[in-house]
Amino acid sequence: MADEDETKEYRWESGYEKTWEAIKEDDDGLLESNVADLVARAKRKRAALKDTGAIQLGMMRHLFVVVDASACMFLQDLKPTRFLCVLKLLEVFVHEFFDLNPISQLGILTTKMKRSEQITVLAGNQKKHIEALQQLKDLSCEGEPSLQNSLERAMNGLKNMPAYSSREILVLFGSLTTCDPGDIQKTIKSLKDNNIRVSIIGLAAEVRICQEIAKKTGGTYNVLIDDHHLKELILNQVQPPAVAGSMEASLVKMGFPGGSPIVNDGTSDSSADHAPAYCLCHIESETSSLMGPNGYNCPQCGSRYCELPVECKQCGLTLVSAPHLARSYHHLFPIKPFIERAQVRETTHCFACAKLFVEAETNVYECENCNQIVCLDCDLFIRETLHTCPGCASDPVTAQMKTN
Amino acid sequence: MLELKRALDAKGHCLLEMPSGTGKTTTLLSLIVAYMKAHPLDLTKLVYCSRTVPEIEKVMEELRKLMNYYEKEMGMEQNILGLALSSRKNLCIHPSVSKEREGKVVDGRCYSLTASFVRARHAADDAVPICEFYEGFDAHGKEFPLPPGVYNLDDLKEYGQMKRWCPYFLARHTITHANIVVYSYHYLLDPKIAEVVSKEISKTSVVVFDEAHNIDNVCIDSMSVKITKRLLDKCSNSITILETTISNMKENDSKRLEKEYKRLVEGLRDATIARETDMALVNPVLPSEILEEAVPGTIRTAEHFVAFLKRVVEYIKTRLRVQHVVQESPAGFLRDIHTKVCIDRKPLRFSAERLASLIRTLEISDLTDFSPLVTVSHFATLVSTYTKGFTIIIEPFEDRAPTVSNPILYFSCLDSSIAIKPVFNRFQTVVITSGTLSPLDMYPKILDFHPVIMTSFTMTLARPCILPMIVSKGNDQVAMSSRYETREDTAVIRNYGNLLVEVAAAVPDGIVCFFTSYLYLETIVSSWYDQGIIDQLQRHKLLFIETQDAAETSLALINYIKACDNGRGAVLLSVARGKVSEGIDFDHHLGRAVLMFGIPYVYTQSRILRARLEYLRDQFQIKENDFLTFDAMRHAAQCLGRCMRGKTDYGIMILADKRFSRADKRSKLPKWIQEHLKDTNCNLSTEECVQICKRWLRQMAQPFSREDQLGISLLTLEQLQSEEMQKKIQQRAQGI
Repeated sequence: MADEDETKEYRWESGYEKTWEAIKEDDDGLLESNVADLVARAKRKRAALKDTGAIQLGMMRHLFVVVDASACMFLQDLKPTRFLCVLKLLEVFVHEFFDLNPISQLGILTTKMKRSEQITVLAGNQKKHIEALQQLKDLSCEGEPSLQNSLERAMNGLKNMPAYSSREILVLFGSLTTCDPGDIQKTIKSLKDNNIRVSIIGLAAEVRICQEIAKKTGGTYNVLIDDHHLKELILNQVQPPAVAGSMEASLVKMGFPGGSPIVNDGTSDSSADHAPAYCLCHIESETSSLMGPNGYNCPQCGSRYCELPVECKQCGLTLVSAPHLARSYHHLFPIKPFIERAQVRETTHCFACAKLFVEAETNVYECENCNQIVCLDCDLFIRETLHTCPGCASDPVTAQMKTN
Repeated sequence: MLELKRALDAKGHCLLEMPSGTGKTTTLLSLIVAYMKAHPLDLTKLVYCSRTVPEIEKVMEELRKLMNYYEKEMGMEQNILGLALSSRKNLCIHPSVSKEREGKVVDGRCYSLTASFVRARHAADDAVPICEFYEGFDAHGKEFPLPPGVYNLDDLKEYGQMKRWCPYFLARHTITHANIVVYSYHYLLDPKIAEVVSKEISKTSVVVFDEAHNIDNVCIDSMSVKITKRLLDKCSNSITILETTISNMKENDSKRLEKEYKRLVEGLRDATIARETDMALVNPVLPSEILEEAVPGTIRTAEHFVAFLKRVVEYIKTRLRVQHVVQESPAGFLRDIHTKVCIDRKPLRFSAERLASLIRTLEISDLTDFSPLVTVSHFATLVSTYTKGFTIIIEPFEDRAPTVSNPILYFSCLDSSIAIKPVFNRFQTVVITSGTLSPLDMYPKILDFHPVIMTSFTMTLARPCILPMIVSKGNDQVAMSSRYETREDTAVIRNYGNLLVEVAAAVPDGIVCFFTSYLYLETIVSSWYDQGIIDQLQRHKLLFIETQDAAETSLALINYIKACDNGRGAVLLSVARGKVSEGIDFDHHLGRAVLMFGIPYVYTQSRILRARLEYLRDQFQIKENDFLTFDAMRHAAQCLGRCMRGKTDYGIMILADKRFSRADKRSKLPKWIQEHLKDTNCNLSTEECVQICKRWLRQMAQPFSREDQLGISLLTLEQLQSEEMQKKIQQRAQGI
């Protein structure tokens, strides 16, 4: 009985969560259903906004993710706790991020006890980040967070990044308060001067200062409704943002290390390239072993790496492979937004997923080129993941035209 | 608008409750201006009374927007003159006088520069200082009326600077022909000022009282007098000054006193009042009550009058020397004063006027010293004029400090209808409006008038942006209540504390808490400190407390706003009926939640309140309990309304008292709050309340743009003209 306070709350002891109310239909039509509707519409709007043509996109991104690790992250309104839920989603995010932005770099910070701590430095290696995130799980959350400290720290890391890359900070903020050493307005101003955009995802409620930071630096501010919504919000950050203001365009020197050793295509002419060597990514760790002939050699200094993309440790050259660049490329030529239509009788199912249209769905989406009709889910899927319209691709005429 | 039009058509009074931030001012202004344009004969003037200077400025801003719109749409200059009026303090542009901080000092110094005798002396002797701005106005300003337009206080000052005319007197002069006048309540309600300022406003005017939920208290305050011992001591001093001046004058210039005597015999009091600048002292009695008689013989000569005043002051002094509380009617007081010091009713009644006349004759230019004496003379006049609706209470000590002798004489008005009656009688339409007027039916009773229209409007909203909840018990199921029997109970106090801590952990930015009294606030905070609740609270937010000291409170407020702005978050503990609950808006992030700890009943042991309750029961058949509940609920509603200032805003309202869920209390909340107060939210425990808050806050934090409101709470012109909407409007019009 004495240690009742110490023991963790059982699920049935914690707060009521009337989950059934979320699906309840309202008499006055003002509540959840309405809000969900608002969210869907906002989603649509965002998609439409993003795809309207020739805006310059920041393809090389330098992003710091700040994770709140204050006491409030132990709350259990996200399962199992806010902190674990956020870390889990971040893993997905990191993966997706490098998938979509292979030539970008990412760093992770946490904030607790009014301080900010660096977990990983800006780097393009997703494995490292994911490892770091997994280690974070044992971190205890305590004290208050400090927005200012973490922003300052991230800013110091981003300040010296080249001007052609887009500098971003993503804050996952669970607390409703921030404990700052100085005037945060000054920080906001210097963020703005440095062209850094700060996007914030709130885990509890709308906090004014976050709203202000996001607004002033050109980022977004969102508050989650539940964990699904959170996932959506985090993954929205994967898409490269439109460039704010003028970002100088310049040529970037990159290295394309030679491919597999079997194909000797001239780029790697000497056999020394394929001699067994230590991989530079793992050379510091205890378990490093001599690598076989597989791996990528830096065309400038010849150091070997086990995976791409990476920044060469020796000479600082960005090493990528051609498919990476190609994957970033589609951001520049997005498919045209589909047109929203009221549901019509003739088409009874979605062209992409062959799902039957039900009464509840009032709107369907039509591709401008091939006039095929898809449902909302497919519309978003095509836009966010596929980047090709299945209608156009399956039509031999248009597909032909495109390749020409 | 519809209701207002009906009231205007019927030339009757109306009572409208509209939630703040829904365009109350714009609606009123635009309809009345349109009406004035359509029926220029029926309606000539709009008098808009508001409470504070910033509110006046806001009204002027709205009016300016409206006029710009008219100009744009009609394509020509509008022939409408709108004007704001405030005290000399806010309007003075005299280089040295305007530096003064206190209103009374500015008035006094202005008087000493512009009184007619000073100017006469200046004509003879250039060394006597006068105000060049007033001279400029007097010489030229009267012939040239202000060009049409909208003038707020700053515009008036600028105009005054440009023309070198005194803006205050310019505004005063312009009132008579302006179409729209915006000023404070007191210019209309306080009989002392109303007579001078608002005398010439024609009958065919519309009077709007905005933020009028406390109008009855304003009425009562304007007619009540409070006399303390210190005040009487000051009186004695000023009487000696009077005596010496009179004897001086007698030696030097006895003719003038004689002239005054003669004038008084003839009863020509108005001859001098017509000189506008000499109005610093005026009769507190209502215009209709003034008898056009000669001043009675006993106080006609200056010496006699001074002796008479001395007697009155001494008499009141003796009355203050009591050991127990005395309550008596004005009639009883008059009889007593007659038997003890042989003063009749009639000379008493003229004392205020006589004093004014004497000061004028003596050419005393510094009026500030005489204000205590003026108060006493007002008291004498009031007590002898009204026998009904007033009471005299003499308390030998304050309730809080029963050992310290601090005798106070309260002459208190019990009937709020006395002061406002002439307003209702004189003007064809009086509109009383506020965000929180519920329950509406009480106002006609206590103000004694018959409104043609009495309506409470609600908001049409695209999302449920207020969340009222009644929290009746803590997590341990102990009922929460500020009832007298349980308010000292530690369980209740702890539960209140836990509620606040949990809400502070769940709600971002600013939280405002209201307690029932300063005393209760202090006891609760000290026991919270002992229970460690303050420490827990400070982990989430900074803590600020309102005190009775105005400077301290405003400092706390500034820091509160700072803490909210930079994201630290703050809790403000304040008191219902205090400064914070009345004039300050906590919009958007400054007030995401309001907590009302207990029902803010007035201090029921106060004798003045008891006398008023008794009077209300006898005269208007209002049950004591009904009035108390009404008063408590309107203050509660007022406090709750602080956090909600417009359609894009949102806020939580937590009523932490079991008694709020009773039907008699709940039904007295304004309709726009009641609408959102669901039955399921009426009997919550702390934990349930916090859960609901969390979920609601997340919903509210979702992006909310203009398009979402369109069609629901915001209509475009096409939507408004659409057939469906027209039908809806028709239906609503017929339904009422």
